[in-house]
Amino acid sequence: MPLLSVRNLTHTYPNGFQALKGISFDVEAGEFLVVIGLSGSGKSTLLRCLNRLIEPTGGTITFDGKDVTHIANDPLRKHRGQIGMIFQHFNLIPRHSVLNNVLYGALGSTGTLTAMLGRFSEELRTRALEALRVVGIAEKSGVRADALSGGQQQRVAIARALMQQPRMLLADEPVASLDPSTSHSVMTYLERINKDMGTTVICNLHFLSLVRQYATRVIALKDGQLVFNGSPHDITEEWFTTIYGEDAVEVEIR
Amino acid sequence: MVKMRWKWRFVNVLMKRMMSIVIDLLLGATVVALIERVIVPSLMDVKPWAFGPMSIGIIISGAILWALIGVLRGASLGRLYTGLDVPEGQARTIVTHLGWIALTACIIGGWIITDISPIEFLSGEGLQGAGRIFGALLTPEFDVIGEALAAMVVTIFTAFMATVVAVPLSFLLSFPAARNVMATSPLGKTIYMGLRIILNIMRSMEPIIWAIIFSVWVGIGPFAGMLALVIHTVASLTKQYSEQIEDVNAGPIEAISATGANRIQVLWFAIVPQCVIPFLSFTIYRWDINVRMATIIGFVGGGGIGTLLTQYQGLARYHEVGTLVILITAVVWILDVVSARVREALR
Repeated sequence: MPLLSVRNLTHTYPNGFQALKGISFDVEAGEFLVVIGLSGSGKSTLLRCLNRLIEPTGGTITFDGKDVTHIANDPLRKHRGQIGMIFQHFNLIPRHSVLNNVLYGALGSTGTLTAMLGRFSEELRTRALEALRVVGIAEKSGVRADALSGGQQQRVAIARALMQQPRMLLADEPVASLDPSTSHSVMTYLERINKDMGTTVICNLHFLSLVRQYATRVIALKDGQLVFNGSPHDITEEWFTTIYGEDAVEVEIR
Repeated sequence: MVKMRWKWRFVNVLMKRMMSIVIDLLLGATVVALIERVIVPSLMDVKPWAFGPMSIGIIISGAILWALIGVLRGASLGRLYTGLDVPEGQARTIVTHLGWIALTACIIGGWIITDISPIEFLSGEGLQGAGRIFGALLTPEFDVIGEALAAMVVTIFTAFMATVVAVPLSFLLSFPAARNVMATSPLGKTIYMGLRIILNIMRSMEPIIWAIIFSVWVGIGPFAGMLALVIHTVASLTKQYSEQIEDVNAGPIEAISATGANRIQVLWFAIVPQCVIPFLSFTIYRWDINVRMATIIGFVGGGGIGTLLTQYQGLARYHEVGTLVILITAVVWILDVVSARVREALR
């Protein structure tokens, strides 16, 4: 049984924009799935439906055998807690320390008042430091999050996601605001989490060269529809123009 | 491409049309009334005739004529204000003319209504009076300085306590008054709308009116002044706080929600950290404003230096009034500089 199963997923925004028009695919545990497509093709909406930041308007999402398409309240928070997410703009809490930012990954399993008073247990603190060590940034734990560089902030964001001990990790354009060398460092951490910890990763990407290097499987979206589902090495010139349009030229990132 | 549902677009345009007609009617009525009741009588140097059916008829027909031009030609200031299209060409010219007529009528009418009189301003007798009061104010009687300082302390602490009491209330109210927090459900939207209306009414009533109400309720004195300021401060700070909340970066909200955090945790960990510094800045500025307001509120029984000032002014002891004015100016100036510095440092 696949870890994640998406069937006929549709999403229409209140303003009438149809972001997803009936998408179906499965993800097996341990895969590194990359989603490609132009801006506005529905990649971000798709990811946000998977951890239910957005409630889809049609279709079903099954995660670990449970239908999560329309869950709410406690079951919804539990579902989100099992899935880590990182973002293009990192979305750390500015002015708060790196360590605290990582600890906020555990909010789903902490009492509201305990967390508000900042009383995170020793065990959680140890785990947070451990997560920072995994992304090689433990020595910055006391620094303000907004004092770090972009690549460092993204690594803190990965540590925050690891704090959830997630079964699946969603990454929405994780390297789109980073320079090429930092991009590879961040992608390498995602790869290591995927290979060493066995965490399933679903990642939106722009650059095909990165896709070929890191993905075990690729799906491509165009105007809210699935137009490709297969191995990264099967994306030929022909597929490329189908996905990105006639005028597109492949840009290499090393 | 964003497609608005046709029904909403239709309702939206209809609302704007109605509003633009109402604006034109009111504007037309104002201009005609000014001409008929103020400008013409004044130019002919007669008293305006009795305000009766005749007069009302002229005003109403003028208003309708004004609005009719807008409906028939599309040339209307109301349409311009509500963002509707005004056709190019002649209609534009008409709108420009209507605008100039309205502005000219308001300036001439306003001049007459406010009794502006350069002759009185610069007459020998007038200037003599001015010399007398300035002379008294500039030769202050410093015997009252002890009494004045004590009253000033009362005023400053009235403002301080009003701010202290108002801040937690404003903080709690600012979340239900923020659109991005409440827009998730119909109930939330209703609470948001209701709260906004109440706060707008509270803010529209000047603190001096609240001071009159509370001086009857709890008796004349600083407590009445403080209560008046609390009301006004809650209304103002809640608005400023909630606008700040509406302005926060949505990214951290998404990130904290994605960890499985509940709504209160999202407020506390994603929204509040982004707001703390601006909130502090608004609060300090509000205390600064409250000190000035507390002075004015003293005039109607809010205690402190304002009350002392009215007493000496009532006795026509302008040398003592001079001392108080100097003290008030100094304190307001110092607070202004200090609060600006602190707010600068917070950034």
